[in-house]
Amino acid sequence: MARVWTWLREDVWEIRFRRYVALSLAAVLAALGIWGGMTATKEDRSCAPGVVQPKGSDECVGVSWTTYAFGRPQFAETVQAINRENHRLKPGSYVTVALLEPFTATDADNLADVLHELQGAYLAQHQANHDANGLKPKIRLVLANPGATGAHWQQTVDRLERMTKGPDRLRAVTGVGLSTDNNKKAVKELTRRGIPVIGSSITADDLANGQNGKDPFPGLARVSPTNTDEARALASFAKVSAANAFLVYDRTGDPYTRTLQKSFEKMLTGSRYEAQPFTPPADRSKEGSTANVFAQITTILCTTPKSTDTILFAGRHTQLRQFINALGARGCVDRRFTVLTGDEGSYLAGDKELDPRALKDPLLSVRYTALAHPEAWVSDTAKTGGSAADARVLQALLDSAGREPVGPVGKVALDDGQLIIAYDAMRLAVHGIRGASPTGKIPALADVGLQWPQVKGKQLRVNGASGWICLDAHGNPYDKAVPIVELTPDSRSRFVKIAWPEGKPPAQECLPPS
Amino acid sequence: MHRGLHGRGALFDTDPPGLASRLVGLRPYQLRATPYEHASEVPFVVFAGGRGLGKSALLRELRDAYRGHTPVALIDGEERQFAAPPAERPEEAWSPVGQALTTVAEQLAEPVTGAGRIGFPRLAAGLLAVAAGGWSDRDVPRIRQEAERILLLNETGSWISGFAGRWVGKIVSKLVASLSGTGPVIAPIIEATLEAFAEGIGPAPRRLRRAAGWYRDYPNAGGSPKLALILLSRHFRAGGDSRRHAERYLVRALLADLDDAYAGVVQRSHRRGRPVVLIDNVQERAGLGLLEPVLRDRADGIADQVVFFAALRGYGHAALRNAERRTLPAVAREAGWEPGTSPSSRALLVSLPPLTPDDTLHIVDTASDGPALSSSDPPVPSQLPHATHRLTGGSPLGITLLAESAKQNLPQGAASLGELLTSDVAVHEDHGGRPAYQELLDRLVPGGRLDELTVLAAAHDRDSACALAEAQLPDDFGASGVLDLEERLAEEGWATADGQFVGDPFLRALLLLRLHHGDADHERWRAVHRTLIDHYTDEDRVAPPDSARYRLHHELALGKADFAVAHLRDTFPRTDTRGWLSSLVFIASAPYYHAHDPDGRDFDGHDHRASVALGHTDAAQQPPDSVDAVLHLRVRRLLHAVWQLTDPLVLPDSQVTERLRFELEQLSNLRPAGNALLWRASRDWPSDALAGRPFRIPGDDDENASGNGNGGQ
Repeated sequence: MARVWTWLREDVWEIRFRRYVALSLAAVLAALGIWGGMTATKEDRSCAPGVVQPKGSDECVGVSWTTYAFGRPQFAETVQAINRENHRLKPGSYVTVALLEPFTATDADNLADVLHELQGAYLAQHQANHDANGLKPKIRLVLANPGATGAHWQQTVDRLERMTKGPDRLRAVTGVGLSTDNNKKAVKELTRRGIPVIGSSITADDLANGQNGKDPFPGLARVSPTNTDEARALASFAKVSAANAFLVYDRTGDPYTRTLQKSFEKMLTGSRYEAQPFTPPADRSKEGSTANVFAQITTILCTTPKSTDTILFAGRHTQLRQFINALGARGCVDRRFTVLTGDEGSYLAGDKELDPRALKDPLLSVRYTALAHPEAWVSDTAKTGGSAADARVLQALLDSAGREPVGPVGKVALDDGQLIIAYDAMRLAVHGIRGASPTGKIPALADVGLQWPQVKGKQLRVNGASGWICLDAHGNPYDKAVPIVELTPDSRSRFVKIAWPEGKPPAQECLPPS
Repeated sequence: MHRGLHGRGALFDTDPPGLASRLVGLRPYQLRATPYEHASEVPFVVFAGGRGLGKSALLRELRDAYRGHTPVALIDGEERQFAAPPAERPEEAWSPVGQALTTVAEQLAEPVTGAGRIGFPRLAAGLLAVAAGGWSDRDVPRIRQEAERILLLNETGSWISGFAGRWVGKIVSKLVASLSGTGPVIAPIIEATLEAFAEGIGPAPRRLRRAAGWYRDYPNAGGSPKLALILLSRHFRAGGDSRRHAERYLVRALLADLDDAYAGVVQRSHRRGRPVVLIDNVQERAGLGLLEPVLRDRADGIADQVVFFAALRGYGHAALRNAERRTLPAVAREAGWEPGTSPSSRALLVSLPPLTPDDTLHIVDTASDGPALSSSDPPVPSQLPHATHRLTGGSPLGITLLAESAKQNLPQGAASLGELLTSDVAVHEDHGGRPAYQELLDRLVPGGRLDELTVLAAAHDRDSACALAEAQLPDDFGASGVLDLEERLAEEGWATADGQFVGDPFLRALLLLRLHHGDADHERWRAVHRTLIDHYTDEDRVAPPDSARYRLHHELALGKADFAVAHLRDTFPRTDTRGWLSSLVFIASAPYYHAHDPDGRDFDGHDHRASVALGHTDAAQQPPDSVDAVLHLRVRRLLHAVWQLTDPLVLPDSQVTERLRFELEQLSNLRPAGNALLWRASRDWPSDALAGRPFRIPGDDDENASGNGNGGQ
């Protein structure tokens, strides 16, 4: 050590030339060290290309175009299939469609939903890229995650917007998932920035254009009927009268529950009973203390006259399950009740926490609208509004998706209708993109959203697997087939009948009236 | 680890900086800058002193201290290469100064930390012009050799250094080609050289071109470097003052080249301190040839930044008449030197003092700490360092060699300094051993006349020396030989002392030792002393006032103490005490070599003085009847005690010392009139003896009275 010091002191420092060289070197080294240190200490918040953990969160949000599956192994096969399909595309020949879903959701219900949406979107992508006519442009599918609760929608939207420019050529966002406030904000922002959005399973009335004559989401198209339409279809199916129906609703509510509640309230104008509210936890997938409230509501129900046999439930599925469990344990076991609710009921099928007593109660039936149901067109005899042939196209695709080159895409389940609806949404997106570019060139971003009002009529409607998709001037489906589904004692969903918001299937032309 | 020389801290100190640090601007042994004492002009430092004072060792140490840190060159004016031209080289094209300049430049050129080689294009051009004066077309190989050596002074060791050999060869070929079959050689050679420089052949062409133009200012050259070099060569060949003029230009060329190496921001950022030139034996021709031009140029305002350290044998020189004089300790903190107007005032003459007893102690310690002396060996006697200092008088050479002898011979049983001197000592590991005193004399008195000086060492003045020369030396030596030797001793800086022909006690002791050991039966020794006894008893001449003392001194040297005892005993009551003590010390300063039989031979090889001094032999002693037996025996014991204790070749014996005190006290009781002096001596002498100091006669202020001459510069 002393020798090194002596060497530095005498052989370097004393010789001015060497001193200056050494000082310069030391300065450069120090700068490098500082830079290196800062780089090393800077947190690497990146999860994958395009996907980062926002400050204060351990969720990976953003837009992924690689095989990154957001840490959810169940997505892996589908994501790889999508990646393979994306890589087959020649640069410059495609446009990008993003599937906006809460990929980092933690609860099994939502994850299953997302998986099915992913599978449906992929199948539609595959179909679009491999159809016999060789239509262009080809479709590249990317995964956009705003976080489990959609809290990071801003960041994801920013990234999606950047992808509309440059080689990604993002032209549409599909999916969106549930009708939550964050998703509503995200859709609002996306459409404000001119990005067309095709909602697959959103049903809330206020997440749609044309409400009160306003179009707050220019460029938004939906595949599912609004809650109002669902409620109307439900009413036309069940012949609900204000006199014998009882409303239970989510007091705080989200767009879905609120619009459903409003639709139900419209039907119950002049009801004998005051509607019963409940207040669920902020995260509605949590149990909370609502079970007690439902027990009390059940007690109230038992005191109503016997003619009151229909309960309209405007709430999310966890609360629905609690309510049904409470009904199963009701004191007035001799009373017959039919619970009617929206498409949240589809989550009940296979729910392990459903009380078997409630399920097996012959006097208690649960019916709900589904977004789609695999048996709808097989069993129903409607001549218009959809067809079994259209449903079989998807079935054929599914059959080939079990193995290469299409699949594998993981475990497939159609019961909840998510796969079907996502498939239809993607097909609508492709329809819009290609409609905006009849020559097969890359369409302008703004042109895609302008296609929605013309999706109607014999030629231009989309013959979805869930039924015909004929959009009105606001991008909402007109008289979309609403499968009514019943919960069986073995906790499955059984297709009952297709109901129609207009009370009957659309005409062959499928043109909404003015 | 001790670095530097003992007792020379004034030069080598770093904190506060010694003379070397302040002049060179660098600490010795370290590459660390120190502020200059003389920022504008550096004194030409000349270390003065006689032989054996460590001047050469000092210069060597300076070279080692600065080598690799700043350019440093060391030449010795007495080296053979400066004595005469090499074979085949004509006298008119060679001078010691030219040779010295070449050697100095070659050493200075060596790369140092931070900077590369120094090129000497100006000097090379000048030396080439001078050398060309001795060339003819018949001697091409020699020309090649000389030209290559000179041209290599240009080499700067840059990245082109690989080509150095090639470009030198190229110029040499050019030079050789320029030699016409007949006719003058110098002009074409110079022309070819300048052309080569101007064309930029070789390293650093810009520097070469600048160098080629340097000679323009030569007197009468009319601004033409070529004419200048021709004139230079002609002046050199002419000899005498013309040659000195030419040599002065060559020296100036060397200094200009050195300045060039320190000029400019870039150069200065690579170098620290100043270049150092060390000249040993500056009184020789090669040394003076550098010293005088440098001093004259500096006096003329042609400044340079070279630090010169020279060593001068003796204490003065004609060329240094007005030099400021200092002793080494006086310049330890600052030299306080201011240049005057005369050239010689640009020099600073620093005389080297002998080493102190403490330095002696350190040197003896250092030498005996060596690995040769293991723990099983006898320890160094505690009095040895002080006794060594008393014997050598602080001569670094003597101390170093004695320390070396102690290291080698103490384990072999040598006990006294005499034994250490006569024992063999191997100075170099690969050389066989020689008696230490011979080794010392070879170095202290080189260059002949050692035998004559050995004989004359016993003499006390010019008269006795002449008497000795007449009786003991060849006829052709004579009185003139004595005078010649006397002058030589003075020139070489040997001290003079009253009552001794060879004033320096250490040299005298060595010479007398050589005289004694010159032949097996000490015949020469006895003959010399007898001659001197005769000289001081010669009835025909007017005897010197103290002839009795001298006679008795030599009688004692022959081992005959009775006369001395009788004289001292008889004079004790009569003479004044101081004179008596003085006689006692002088007589007892006789050299002693073991016990001698009446014929002067060793008979037992033991020093019998101690046993006499301690009274062990009193019983066998028969004092003459007519005398006071007690006084006789007392004086006898006292004489032997003083004889032994003042013998520089013997370590002091504390018993004898104690006895000396006792005898002197007793004597003081016998002489009421002088008892104060005797009593004082009884106090001073024992302590002086133990401390290795010469005995002082109480009340005598002259410290040289006892023969310890140290002055006489």
